[in-house]
Amino acid sequence: MTVATIASVHQIARGEKLPGRVRGLILVRDQGLLALFIVLVIVFAFWGAPHFFTLATGISVLNSAAIAGIYAAGVTVGVMTGVLDLSVPGTAALAGVVTGLLLQGGAPVPLALLAGLAIGCVVGLVNGLIAIRGFDPLIVTIAMLSALGGLSLLLANDYNISGLTQLQFMGTQTYLGIPAPVYIAVLVFAALTVFLRYTRTGMRLLAVGGGREAARRVGIEVNRYRVLGFMISGFCAALGGIVTTAYITTAVPSASVGIVFSAMTAVALAGVPFVGGRGSLPRVALGAVVVSTISAGLLLAKVPTDWSSIVTGALLVGGLGLNMWTTKTTSKLLLSGGRTAAAIGRAS
Amino acid sequence: MSDAVFELDDISVHYGYARALEGVSLRVGPGEVVALLGDNGAGKSTLLKVMSGAHRPTTGRMLVRGQPVEFRSPRDAATAGIEMVYQDLALVDAMDIAANLSLGREPLLRGPLGWLGFINRRAMRDQSQAELDALGVRTAPVNRSVEMLSGGQRQVVAIARSAARLPERGVLLMDEPTAALGHEQTELVEDLIRTLAAQGTSIVIVTHNLPLAFSVSHRTVVLNRGRKVADALTADCDGDSVVSWITGASVQLDAAR
Repeated sequence: MTVATIASVHQIARGEKLPGRVRGLILVRDQGLLALFIVLVIVFAFWGAPHFFTLATGISVLNSAAIAGIYAAGVTVGVMTGVLDLSVPGTAALAGVVTGLLLQGGAPVPLALLAGLAIGCVVGLVNGLIAIRGFDPLIVTIAMLSALGGLSLLLANDYNISGLTQLQFMGTQTYLGIPAPVYIAVLVFAALTVFLRYTRTGMRLLAVGGGREAARRVGIEVNRYRVLGFMISGFCAALGGIVTTAYITTAVPSASVGIVFSAMTAVALAGVPFVGGRGSLPRVALGAVVVSTISAGLLLAKVPTDWSSIVTGALLVGGLGLNMWTTKTTSKLLLSGGRTAAAIGRAS
Repeated sequence: MSDAVFELDDISVHYGYARALEGVSLRVGPGEVVALLGDNGAGKSTLLKVMSGAHRPTTGRMLVRGQPVEFRSPRDAATAGIEMVYQDLALVDAMDIAANLSLGREPLLRGPLGWLGFINRRAMRDQSQAELDALGVRTAPVNRSVEMLSGGQRQVVAIARSAARLPERGVLLMDEPTAALGHEQTELVEDLIRTLAAQGTSIVIVTHNLPLAFSVSHRTVVLNRGRKVADALTADCDGDSVVSWITGASVQLDAAR
């Protein structure tokens, strides 16, 4: 038995490309969202005329997508490590309230911002430290959501903290015609994408999410990375809360659960599987844009707003269905393809 | 056999009153392939766990290259040059072959980016390719993700991952390496085992697959109800006696001896 036989029997030949249909399906899976976005824009350009296909609408869509996207980025990192962090709205509310209270008390802006962001990291740390003790992360983060919501209402004395004009530079201010939250969201997505794709810590984080056992066996401190995932999620939630506060110049102490659901919608539309280990952040950003395009488009087409959540729900299931179908068909094709390759090897 | 790479001396494992292993001794020489056989519950898995550091023996001692060792975790075993290929492989499906092979020891870029923890993807690919080439296997492009590989290719990647972490004259433990594989894929894995042994790696294979044991092993060790009932050169064994050792038909004979 020689080495050459091994290669010929088993190899799908080095460098050989995947079968054409598989590549087609992967293209559908990877670019379906972009196609959907283009279709939506075209449909609404006519249906929502004359207001939809304008620069102003585009910018406002981007702005609301940016704020939802910051949350979605955090939720995505959580999901990639195999955790659905439901405490995001609570973290956002608390971070906003703490930043707001500090600003109201005359603290310098950088200090107030740092305090708010630090709260996000601490919440994530606590979530993570509890979860690695074997508690179900879903329950831990729900408990955290409830506790943080109560805590921020308590701190704010049940009142909105308004008049926070100090944060305008990262809220309503525009630079080159584009609102500040868009820059922040782009920065967050870019930084996290680079982190996950090109750094050792990011790669291990994904490995822990997609194959905890594999990571553990090669000596990776799995728990450290799980906690890190929670902390990134907490940081993004706090940042989202602060940007929202800046945008409406008001810190709202009640946790708005809708935040986490629109974030989850963006994540699911982007085809990020909730079992963890994979997913593309840029596509999540596009997912957030699609969600806000739908609500803006339906609004401008004078469809009652309730429809937009119905449509989003339908899209979500449709997206999941497409994802499942492409994945299943791909593996089926690959399996049969593998057998053919082996047969060819045997014949030669 | 004073040059044994890995030596177990009188190992017992008791769970309360249950005795999973009772005074088992085993020596593995350099480049030797030992097939560890036995029926379900005979103690094979427990012995494998003791050897891989996942389980501490109740009594007995272990020596690696003559040095006494005590494993508190699989990491200790790995430090001593003992790696394990688990039956479930435990690969990260979403990642490519190169990433799976390098996970836990990823090469970083040089310079400031490296200090920030940036990975050198090219070095990772080259290194993985070199490791696969050294084993004489070519599975698929190293940038192909594991979920797109066949069962045999996955097994090869899992073995290569462990083998690449071994030092010179290391020990590779394998749990049912061909359990889920077809005939051709099993041959592929058998060849890989022979290649590794020829390079000086000692290999212990736990298996139910007798043809595999006969075709690759130098020595056959049989466990029955926690005791070692046979330890012979595979060339001297015949199928019938191995089966009777496994089923316990000859246990009384051995005990009477």
